[in-house]
Amino acid sequence: MTQSFKDKAVIVLLAAAAAAFTITFIAIEEQAEIFALILFAAALVFAGAKFGFTRSIAQSLSRNERLMNVAVIAATLVVIFWFREDHFPLLMIATVMLYVIACCGLNMQFGYTGVVNFAGAAFFGVGCYTAAVLGDTSIPLLLVIILGGVIAAIVGSVLIIPVLRTRGHYAAVVTIAFGLLFRTFLEVNDTLGGPQGLGVSGMNLFGWDFNNNIEITENIELSFYLNYVILALVMVILTFVLMRRIERSWIGLNFDAVRLDETAAACFGINIKRWKIVAFTLGNFLAGTAGALYAMMLGFIAPSNFAFSDSLILVSIVLLGGMGSLWGTILAAGLVVLLPEKLQVIQEYRFLIYAVVMILILLFRPQGILPRGLRAYIPGWRG
Amino acid sequence: MDVGLLGQFVVNGMMLGMMYALVAVGFTLFFGVLDVIKFSHGDVLMVGTFAGFSTYLGMTAIGIDNAFIQLVGVLVIAVGSMAILGAIIARYLVLPLKSAPPLNTLLVTLMLGTVLREAIRLFYPDGSNPKHFPSLLPTESWSLGSFTLRADSVILLIGGLLVIIGVNVLINRTRLGLAIRAVAQDEETAKCMGINFKMIVLLTFALGSGVAAFAGVMNGLYYNEINFGMGLLLGVIGFSAAIVGGLGNIYGAILGGFLFAGLQTLGAVALPFASAYKDVFAFAVVIAIIAWRPTGLIAEKTSERV
Amino acid sequence: MKFLSKSAVSAIAFSMALTAGAHFADAKDKVKVAFIGPLTGGVSAVGVGGRNSAELAVQLRNADPNAKYEYELVAMDSECKPNVGVQVATKIAADRSIIGLVGHYCSAVAMGAVDIYHKFNLPMSVWGAVLPDVTYGNDYKEIHRVNGTMINQNDVAAKFMTEQGYKTWVIIHDTTDYGKGHDKYFSEYLTQNGGEILADFGVPADQQDFTAELTKAKQLNPDVIYFGGLTPLGVRIRAQMEKLGITAQFQGVSGIKSDSFIDGVGADLSEGVVSFLEGAPVDKLPGGQYFTEKYKAAGFAESEEAYGPFAFAAMNLILDGIEEVGPNRKKLTKYLGDIHGYESIVGEISFDDHGQNTVAAITKYVVQDGKWVVWEDSEYATGKRKLAGK
Repeated sequence: MTQSFKDKAVIVLLAAAAAAFTITFIAIEEQAEIFALILFAAALVFAGAKFGFTRSIAQSLSRNERLMNVAVIAATLVVIFWFREDHFPLLMIATVMLYVIACCGLNMQFGYTGVVNFAGAAFFGVGCYTAAVLGDTSIPLLLVIILGGVIAAIVGSVLIIPVLRTRGHYAAVVTIAFGLLFRTFLEVNDTLGGPQGLGVSGMNLFGWDFNNNIEITENIELSFYLNYVILALVMVILTFVLMRRIERSWIGLNFDAVRLDETAAACFGINIKRWKIVAFTLGNFLAGTAGALYAMMLGFIAPSNFAFSDSLILVSIVLLGGMGSLWGTILAAGLVVLLPEKLQVIQEYRFLIYAVVMILILLFRPQGILPRGLRAYIPGWRG
Repeated sequence: MDVGLLGQFVVNGMMLGMMYALVAVGFTLFFGVLDVIKFSHGDVLMVGTFAGFSTYLGMTAIGIDNAFIQLVGVLVIAVGSMAILGAIIARYLVLPLKSAPPLNTLLVTLMLGTVLREAIRLFYPDGSNPKHFPSLLPTESWSLGSFTLRADSVILLIGGLLVIIGVNVLINRTRLGLAIRAVAQDEETAKCMGINFKMIVLLTFALGSGVAAFAGVMNGLYYNEINFGMGLLLGVIGFSAAIVGGLGNIYGAILGGFLFAGLQTLGAVALPFASAYKDVFAFAVVIAIIAWRPTGLIAEKTSERV
Repeated sequence: MKFLSKSAVSAIAFSMALTAGAHFADAKDKVKVAFIGPLTGGVSAVGVGGRNSAELAVQLRNADPNAKYEYELVAMDSECKPNVGVQVATKIAADRSIIGLVGHYCSAVAMGAVDIYHKFNLPMSVWGAVLPDVTYGNDYKEIHRVNGTMINQNDVAAKFMTEQGYKTWVIIHDTTDYGKGHDKYFSEYLTQNGGEILADFGVPADQQDFTAELTKAKQLNPDVIYFGGLTPLGVRIRAQMEKLGITAQFQGVSGIKSDSFIDGVGADLSEGVVSFLEGAPVDKLPGGQYFTEKYKAAGFAESEEAYGPFAFAAMNLILDGIEEVGPNRKKLTKYLGDIHGYESIVGEISFDDHGQNTVAAITKYVVQDGKWVVWEDSEYATGKRKLAGK
């Protein structure tokens, strides 16, 4: 058996296992089953690391990146197809995907360039409100999603001066203050619905109404959330391609240089300010687009969705996944969005348990679930 | 506006500023020694207040009803237990993550904050409802026109001031303070000079958490009401205050605390638009100040860490 | 570790006893009903109280040998956040085995969720949210509400307070949908009744310090301080009024009519505080006493709070409907639409064409000796005690 064949087999098996695990995780409802599955996954990861499987798998993956991408998309489609008639699992899958997009935006800021942003939910919220306000106008809704991103980027430009001048914790406070200010403003000011929130019209693409179930035959009726999941999947793929392209280009190189050592980067003629502005704006743009589609999917938004704690959820996805690690972000988004939902069975105890689980993960994997490797000059380049 | 009313606003604002300052001092201490932000600080304050409250209930139950003894007991238990809790957090959650990205400490302590908050809500008897914190201080008041000064407010202000002075003396005049400052300057050099790094970190966290517990009890005595969510906002504001003043500097923390209280009071009473916008105003000013002075009003003395 | 609360343990013990008993009786069909409320976060006390009350209704029904079905309660946490609310609403509505729902204390969550119930034809009754738009903002026949809206409440409140001879008010309200709604309707009715509003302060729902607002209020020297918001904030404001030496009458809304308000401020300061709650006084109705007794007997760790009886009444209404028309969503919706003069522990329930309970009697309460007392029975009404400033 050749090395390359073995690699391919590993990837296909892995994707199949991931799909099976995701389906099981989403489908089960009983308290005992959920805890058993979580323990099983933890044991698997632990054993994998202990016996060195993780490393050999990682090598197989990095040798066949294209196949891996295809396998992951195929696995996702399998999961989506499995739940084609179930509204709630599809809603959760779409939510995870939109969080992934928003967190990719934060990754551009935190992970690549080292610009901290604790107001992720605020920029996500700008996208939501854009969709709510522009959704009833004659502007095509696909354009509204892009406009959600553009307006989030424009709102973010207010913060550019303080963000450029500050670093580390000081920049954190600038964005925290902005996040709190944003939410309070929405609540106090009634022009955008005030605390009662706003209804948002659903997505409609060339006359295809996303909020109707898809009837194939008499007996087969697919959930209307399937529309959103597929659109979200397309957006995730686009975001992913964008992130990867940027990471591997000279832009990404500049980002990394700025993050690793501003002084040294400046000495080599890198315009620190320019790259920070680019990363900050682009990141907010991504969060805004995700927000716009999220609002259309939920159909209703209110200021309390965009509190400081929601920004922290986005930040914790980025950190938990490993800063700058895109695959890590996907895993972490799945965990952070789905785990509290799965813990609904223990009702009022769920946040306690959720927080404990998060602490344990961080103690055992301080670098995140899938840390981003050290950057080579041209990643993926093998001379 | 008449003078009496102005005086009332000043006293109220000072009271609020004192509490913010005490919380901010903790943030600044932790940042000084380890360059970390401990986001569970506000919730440690809340747990400290509940510890004090339980002490009061316990003392009343066994028949000690002298207010002064009760007050001493409440303070000793609250501050002592939170100092221990602070050291435990440092030992088991903060130090193990020393080599991880600093933001991870933030996330872990944030989650710890959730654990503490939810634990009090769920396991403290009827913990999800506000509790009536007793008035253990004399409640006489002096009125002069529209100005009312209460004895307990004065005592609390003086108490807070003494604690801040005490912390300052401890940091700047004692051998322990010298060690803390040495660790803050340079961990490795401090170790070479024979300073027990770990011990100093634990002591600093104990000190900061103890101060927070004091602020919590002060909060309870002043407002006569405590609840499981009281630490959340105090933590965020304390952090902002520490940053605005300049991290790693006790005077900065105090300045930041009073500044923030001043902004809120001003926003509520003296601005032309609706008072509901006062937090929008306060946070906008904070952003502006940081844009103007990127390392806080009192900048860090040390050169930039590379 | 004490992981499970007493209520959970008793619920488990109860259901075990029930399963044991079921072996002897005929096996009944299982029917699922659901509850949604805030079980974590700032207003979780009310949410857990409502959950317990709904659970009690289900337990009592299951213990009833005449019941046709065996019921299972699915309870979900909305965190009082609209996006989470929409998620759990979808989860429950999409689950066809769930026939009816008792849901929502937070109005913003209810607003986002009603569209989903309509889409999935899930009949439901609100148990606590008071924003008028929840029922009047749509024409969905699935949506009902057993409690009154904040319109009724503030209408009565404004009339009552002006009748007591008060002339001037300072309003403090939180900036959530709850507080802002109360502010809007109370201001409206107060002006109609000739009261004067000297100042109006909006405050965030997590604010601790109100001395700035209250000092300004003190300068204006109003007869009454009206507070539109929930217990935690109400406790802080009442306590801080005392600190600043404000002697005005304190008037609250349904959100503070809970024992925890009195526990929070202490018996002295709460004396004479007035509040208004939809529904007939629970202890006055025979069913109400039954509820209070059973709730105590069930051994829940948490109190039922102000809206527990509504959750209980709403759940009972839905269970009665299922008994009557069978476990079918469409039939249950129709059953609920025809409800008129239904006897419940919160008084008669009659739904109008928006599903709003129109017999929303408002009861006036005043704190007397550390207890909420119905105004008409209090020593204040007889003139033996006087409200502040009278």
